[in-house]
Amino acid sequence: MTAPITLAAFAVVVATLGRWLLARSAWPDRSPRLGILAWQALSLSILVSVVLAGLALAVPEIPFSTNVAALLSACTVALRSQYATPGGAALSVTGGMLAVTVMARVGYCLVAGLVTSRRQRRRQLEALTLAHRGHEGSCDALVVDHPAAAAYCLPGRREQIVVTTAAVAALDHDQLAAVLAHERAHLRGRHDLMLAASDTLRRAFPRVQAFSDAHHATVRLVEMLADDVAARRNDRLTIATALVRLAEASAPAPAASLGAGGSTSLARVRRLVAPAHPLSVTGSAIAVLVAAALLATPVAVVAAPAVLATAADLCPISFSGQMPS
Amino acid sequence: MRQLGQLEAVVMQRLWSYDRPVAVREVLEDLRQNRTIAYTTVMTVMDNLHRKGLLTRELVGRAYRYEPVQTHEEHQAAVMGEALAGSNDPASTLLRFVEQMPPDEVARLRQVLASRAPKRKGRRR
Repeated sequence: MTAPITLAAFAVVVATLGRWLLARSAWPDRSPRLGILAWQALSLSILVSVVLAGLALAVPEIPFSTNVAALLSACTVALRSQYATPGGAALSVTGGMLAVTVMARVGYCLVAGLVTSRRQRRRQLEALTLAHRGHEGSCDALVVDHPAAAAYCLPGRREQIVVTTAAVAALDHDQLAAVLAHERAHLRGRHDLMLAASDTLRRAFPRVQAFSDAHHATVRLVEMLADDVAARRNDRLTIATALVRLAEASAPAPAASLGAGGSTSLARVRRLVAPAHPLSVTGSAIAVLVAAALLATPVAVVAAPAVLATAADLCPISFSGQMPS
Repeated sequence: MRQLGQLEAVVMQRLWSYDRPVAVREVLEDLRQNRTIAYTTVMTVMDNLHRKGLLTRELVGRAYRYEPVQTHEEHQAAVMGEALAGSNDPASTLLRFVEQMPPDEVARLRQVLASRAPKRKGRRR
């Protein structure tokens, strides 16, 4: 009975204290790739903990074994003894329902999100193919007549970068190259998949603040990551200048449209006008270790009793395949 | 599928260039100047475009005459407008280089850039 409680407590701690600590950290902006990894590990850790808590409630002692027949019979025994105890059946059913509901909800939101965005992209791509004016010089971008400056990419199998004529007019040659490098970094890095993952959890469990924080952080960090990739071949100041020129020539948004923390663009310009300042090797190693620990802990909580029992040979369950009557 | 999309684009470009209702036969003759193409292909493409709401048609004698619903400029404006309308939404399907922002935010960006950028980049549009 300790495993489900431990897992639930762990999920709550990660979703509150963990979220709070990561949200107020400044280091993800310095190394956006690690920042995205940290938010992904945090989200996945919460999800896995809750699902495992449900499963641990349904089958109190998950008897780990490499022998499938032994595992099945051991599970049967474990379930039988659970149902024999008063209230055990209700707990089992509740736990099982929790695990299945959470997984089904995530699966449904993932598929629905992917299908919707794919359909929207295809429709847009079709409309753009009809509307475009031509390709921009040596590059792969579609140029579309429009009075407001904009540059964006449509990810997916038929990926496409789109720029408006106003954007081309607002930028000089180097700045346009920097913008295209940034968009290409989104496409090559499949940043859309990172966003699809964080968006799925946010939509599946809108009340969990950790998931919406993770999504908003991912939206911000993929932009910084694409800036960093573009900065390998382009001057940082050129990227910053391109950003400001496009913001100037873009259609203005109403004042209320920004979040409390100001725009991501402001943070991007600030970090682009300064020299690159990524996390040290030690810092990066700590970040990766913490992310790994977040993921390993829930699995360890479930596996520990079984591993210990097997090691101590005190396991009450016979692994020989014989069912005690 | 992709090929048909390209052909639709070619046919739409032609129709936008005519500025008057045309029959399939005219488009076919026009297209045949630089490619071999069957009458039925062009007819199918134009029928698709009509079904998608991009072309209107009117029966004149025994053949339909087709015309674009919107001018090229109107069509582009509509497509981009739709694409950019939702682009500030975090659930947006496109990854935009710069989000739209209010003018005072643009001024702050310019300030940060000016604090570091050498004078040659100080040009304002």
